[in-house]
Amino acid sequence: MRFTRQSAVAAAAAAALVALAGCSGSGSGDGGTTDGEGGESVDLKVWMPTQEDAQTEAIATVIADFEAANPGITITLEERSVDAHKEALRQVVGTDAGPDVYWYWEGPGLGGELVDVGMSLDLTDYYAQYGWEDRFTEAGLAGITQYGGFHGIPWTMQGEAIYYNKALFEQAGITEPPASYEDLVAAADALVAAGTTPIQFGGTVNWHVMRLLDALIETTCGSDTADALNTTQTGWDTEECVTEAFTELKTWGEKYINEGFMGISNDDSSQLFYTGDAAMAFEGTWFDSNAVENGMDPENVGIFTFPTDTGRLYGFGEGFYINAESAHPDEAAMFLDSATSTATQEKVVGVWVAMSVNNEVAPKTDNPLHELWVPVFSGATGLYINNDQNLALDQTTEYWRIQNSVLTGDIAPQDAGAAFQAFIDAS
Amino acid sequence: MSTTTSPAATDAMRSRRHRRHGNRFLAAVPYLAPAALLYGFFLVYPMLDSVRLSFFEWSGFRTEEPTFVGTDNYVRLFTADPVFWAAFRNSIIWVVLSLLVPMTLSLLLALALNRRMVGRNLFRSVFYIPAVFASITVAAMWRWIYNPTLGTVNQVLEAVGLESWSRQWLGDPDIALYSVFVAAIWQGVGFNMVLFLAGLQQVPVELVEAAKLDGARGPQIFRHVTMPALRPTFVVVLILTIISSLKVFDLVVGMTGGGPAQSTQVLALWSYTQSFSNHNFGQGGAVATVLLVISLCLVVPYLTWALKGEDR
Repeated sequence: MRFTRQSAVAAAAAAALVALAGCSGSGSGDGGTTDGEGGESVDLKVWMPTQEDAQTEAIATVIADFEAANPGITITLEERSVDAHKEALRQVVGTDAGPDVYWYWEGPGLGGELVDVGMSLDLTDYYAQYGWEDRFTEAGLAGITQYGGFHGIPWTMQGEAIYYNKALFEQAGITEPPASYEDLVAAADALVAAGTTPIQFGGTVNWHVMRLLDALIETTCGSDTADALNTTQTGWDTEECVTEAFTELKTWGEKYINEGFMGISNDDSSQLFYTGDAAMAFEGTWFDSNAVENGMDPENVGIFTFPTDTGRLYGFGEGFYINAESAHPDEAAMFLDSATSTATQEKVVGVWVAMSVNNEVAPKTDNPLHELWVPVFSGATGLYINNDQNLALDQTTEYWRIQNSVLTGDIAPQDAGAAFQAFIDAS
Repeated sequence: MSTTTSPAATDAMRSRRHRRHGNRFLAAVPYLAPAALLYGFFLVYPMLDSVRLSFFEWSGFRTEEPTFVGTDNYVRLFTADPVFWAAFRNSIIWVVLSLLVPMTLSLLLALALNRRMVGRNLFRSVFYIPAVFASITVAAMWRWIYNPTLGTVNQVLEAVGLESWSRQWLGDPDIALYSVFVAAIWQGVGFNMVLFLAGLQQVPVELVEAAKLDGARGPQIFRHVTMPALRPTFVVVLILTIISSLKVFDLVVGMTGGGPAQSTQVLALWSYTQSFSNHNFGQGGAVATVLLVISLCLVVPYLTWALKGEDR
């Protein structure tokens, strides 16, 4: 099976994110318990990336609740670092050494790749059996249905936007969050004039600065052209907006990003935002808890979407998938049903993201920053995905090399698109 | 007195010797076989399989069959891979620098710490300890040392009024490789120092004394007595340095991941990246094969030399 990347992105983009902001569906299908009596005991293997402490506790709760309701079934959770998780999954494709259930990013370059090679089981029958279509938000389902059928169930919907320090903005004379790209540049100039680093990034993890480049491409090219570029349906060497995006990227690197960003990681650069040494951070919904846990006053933090003028929100979905090689797909589906049920989601909402993918679960409000995301999601007209989830793996590596080379001055912005297209053509 | 041996007798002796050697070999086979099998399975087979893979295009997924592409991977590697030549150049730079800087420092340290002095063993331990650390630990440590805002290097430079010398040590593509190399020196000097110290124990004391009696001075003694005695040690250190330089991987991964913009990429890491990050196992195999050929060109002469030494 081969999916079309452009159609996948278009499907995701077409999803109305309003639903995620709390609109209720007609939700049903909760529960899904089993008596587990009389059958053989089943051990389900679940693979996830290594979780933060609160997430470790939450997933343990999810598992414990399921095991308590289903005495014949036990869950073995295996966690790995992000890259090790990706590698381990790729190594077990087509073998019986893999997990029954795996967690993965939904984008074409990651989750889609495993769908493409047949690792993911089409869950259409289980969606009908458990009524999952009614349970999940439309936006959440967009990433699941983008490859045809139903691959996986949605677990989180992550949005990415600019977090800003209100006090530093005020000191620089900025009274309103930027509404256009020109406003954003003007705000950055005002912050520089006030002696504040406008925005922080860590360049050793390439995907951090990539967020800025992705947003600039969306800004300068518009959503249709950006989608065509990001799915390599049009030439990077033929669109003038590509040069414009790389030129802007270079400007940000020279004028607005923290000094020495190419030599530090995102964790290190985030400290600059926590300590008030940088006014903005381009982060995602997971950053709510990071900011508060690192001592920031949530009243002093605001959020605005990167002003691309396309109306789309930058972000991605994460889901749980059933391995096509699993010997226990029915039990795996029971676990997924339990994990995303209203009862369970009400216990863990806010741990991964503020808003559950389950229609009936209200957004978590214990962290004031969570509430800021509601209008962000509800105001979005679609989604544009991080390019490391759009592009093939080797293309992502080259995309990062060119991005960094422009920032270091080794590639001129006007040559960047042609360099990337040459790589795509040679692949 | 002289003896003569007829050609027939010589042939008979040779024949007996061959038979004796043949019998000894057959007797040794059962003892060698387990180790040879393990060596073949875990070392030779993966190496050959990696070479085989370099002629295929394969994503690494068991569900996808490798496709034979002949030499396409090599053609792409040499003509269209935007990173390969940078990685090749960096690997060569790394080998050359490793032969010049840490070897010289190791020798100087060994000479200094071979004298009778107070705290000699303490100093030896201090210089050797970094060699015990895992490379990834060393990388984490030096990443902090080089941190552009909080790192020791820039802070010290600032404290002594040399803030203009401050740099993005790992973020500037022009100097990042050399910054990583400094960490490699810090970690690697101690090991070579120990090898040189062991070699210095083999320098005959009576020759040194004799040279002194003949009026030779320090540099002359070093050049004409110590250096010739250290020659076997030099060869060992030289070869081990070249091999470890070509294999450098974990320190680069831990400090820069090959960045910024692939400016610190090296062949071993690029092979890994192509195979396990990009899932181009054919390309990764081609890089590994190039690395293998370079290594063999250097290792075979060493093995030949070492085996000749055994025979002697």
